[in-house]
Amino acid sequence: MDALGRVAVIIGYEWRRALAKKKILALIILAVAFQTLVMVVLSQFATRTMFLPSGVMPFMWIFGVLQGQSLFVPLIAIITAGSSMSEEYEHGTADILLSKPITKVEYMFGKFFGGFSLLAVVELCTTFVGAILAVWFFGPQTGLQYVPLMFLAIVYSSLIFFCMSFMFSEVFRRSTIATMSAFAILFASSIISQYLASLYMMTRDYLYFHLSRGIPTWGATYFPSLLMRELMAMPSSFFIVGDPLISFEVARGASEAIYVRDALLQAVMTVAVYAIIFILIAVYRLLKSDVTKKTA
Amino acid sequence: MPDLESHSVITVSNLTKYYGKFEALDSVSFNIDKGWVYGYLGPNGAGKTTTIRIMLGLLKPSQGEVQISGVNPTKDPVHALQFVGYAPELPTLQTFFTGEQLLDFMGKMFGLPTQARSEKIKQLLDFVGLKEWGRKKIGNYSKGMVQRLSVALALINDPIVLIMDEPTIGMDPEATAHFRNLFMNLSKEGKTIFISSHLLDEVQRICTHVGMINRGKIVFTGPIDQVLEAFTQRWIVEAELRDVTENIVSSLKELELVEDVKVEGNKLMIELKEKIDLRGEISSEIFKQKGVLLSLNLHKITLEDAYLRALKGGQ
Repeated sequence: MDALGRVAVIIGYEWRRALAKKKILALIILAVAFQTLVMVVLSQFATRTMFLPSGVMPFMWIFGVLQGQSLFVPLIAIITAGSSMSEEYEHGTADILLSKPITKVEYMFGKFFGGFSLLAVVELCTTFVGAILAVWFFGPQTGLQYVPLMFLAIVYSSLIFFCMSFMFSEVFRRSTIATMSAFAILFASSIISQYLASLYMMTRDYLYFHLSRGIPTWGATYFPSLLMRELMAMPSSFFIVGDPLISFEVARGASEAIYVRDALLQAVMTVAVYAIIFILIAVYRLLKSDVTKKTA
Repeated sequence: MPDLESHSVITVSNLTKYYGKFEALDSVSFNIDKGWVYGYLGPNGAGKTTTIRIMLGLLKPSQGEVQISGVNPTKDPVHALQFVGYAPELPTLQTFFTGEQLLDFMGKMFGLPTQARSEKIKQLLDFVGLKEWGRKKIGNYSKGMVQRLSVALALINDPIVLIMDEPTIGMDPEATAHFRNLFMNLSKEGKTIFISSHLLDEVQRICTHVGMINRGKIVFTGPIDQVLEAFTQRWIVEAELRDVTENIVSSLKELELVEDVKVEGNKLMIELKEKIDLRGEISSEIFKQKGVLLSLNLHKITLEDAYLRALKGGQ
């Protein structure tokens, strides 16, 4: 069996391990249920109060897709990755797996791709459910041909928190600490990013602008919506989608097209840089240290 | 690639391992040839599991190296461990699998084709007495059943080297006897077996060679009859008395060829300085001190005695 075969065996194993956890299954069900509930509430609210401008209705699929992945998908990513490596140490099963003819790197990549492919399937599910619900509740939608691209963008953007949680899982070798650390960074960076954006709007000091974009949540949150803005001409009243700093800059007279393109490129780079750094740290830790004995 | 024709299957050379400043292994060296059943003995914390984990590539040695069929498992686990079966002590197996599923997964890790896996799984479950439990989740297994499954997992790839850490711990006497026979049969098939165990009686029955480790140092390695011979410098006389008095003990201690006398209830364990039968002198001395002798037996050395002596010598 070659290296790819061995990685594939671990991917299959990781799927079984993750799906055996009831909390992950519950989160997947919750994600779809929450997505449906929001769309139902919004459709009822919109039709009764005329809250949503009619020009926004054909783009509601973007909202449907993004709101589904905004809350539950990062949670699923963090929980799946946070226990991926550490649980094997905690239960003592790492000894059993790594005493087989497999290299540590093959094992780690099997675990990584196993967890990440499962997350991608969850995202596929929430993406299509979001798009279908938008058609169901808000009528014909514009740009549905971009749904697969939107899905890929969501998968790519979720790399940051998946890789971060995966790294913590290997570095700390304790599921709870790994998951909690990733959650803490998710919430803290979300708040700090908003705070820095507000500081920029008040002071117009570009240091805050760049710092707010360097925070992990910025790339993870805005990359899919930036891509949709780049691909489609969406009404500016579509308040849900997009980085508030772009609206601010546009209001100051800057070109939206240039800002969106710059931000898109920056988002791609931010996700890639963070993901690579996190994975390299995890690989280094695994290769340089002994396999920890059962800890739980 | 592993040299499967090599006479020497496991070579441990000058193995040293530090955990921080603590030296867990100190220049451990031994060699295990094809077909040997090697018992690895030592008290808790002696370094047995550390040695095994280095042999499996789970730990990196601070110095020295291990070779399995000529391949270093730390550097090339894919080739070194392809023909190795490992059963850990009191394993925690993946409880979300059934026994069959876990065996199938492990078979896949060794690259076994589907048909071969399927046949092997049936055979192994039968072999370890878990035929009826194969389709049940491992979470429902008892400790003994998990241990049996662990042995089955170690055999899934038809290994040439079996590494077992306390393989019969948690098993009932019937299962222990069954597995003892199984290991003997595997040895007859030419497999090399490395057993770390506390059960000295079991080791004495099935092992051809032993290694004894204490505080990270090898205190003996060699054929089992050699270890018995090496540590049989003295014999022990066991005397059972109606009442043990201080006079009897002190008078026995004064005998020229008596090394030491230990009191265990109404029994005296009289350790002799040489391999001589001193029962005559001992019984006369007891009668002289007005003791009532109920029984008097001469013990030659067991593996347990040799083990304890070896540890004492190594300290």
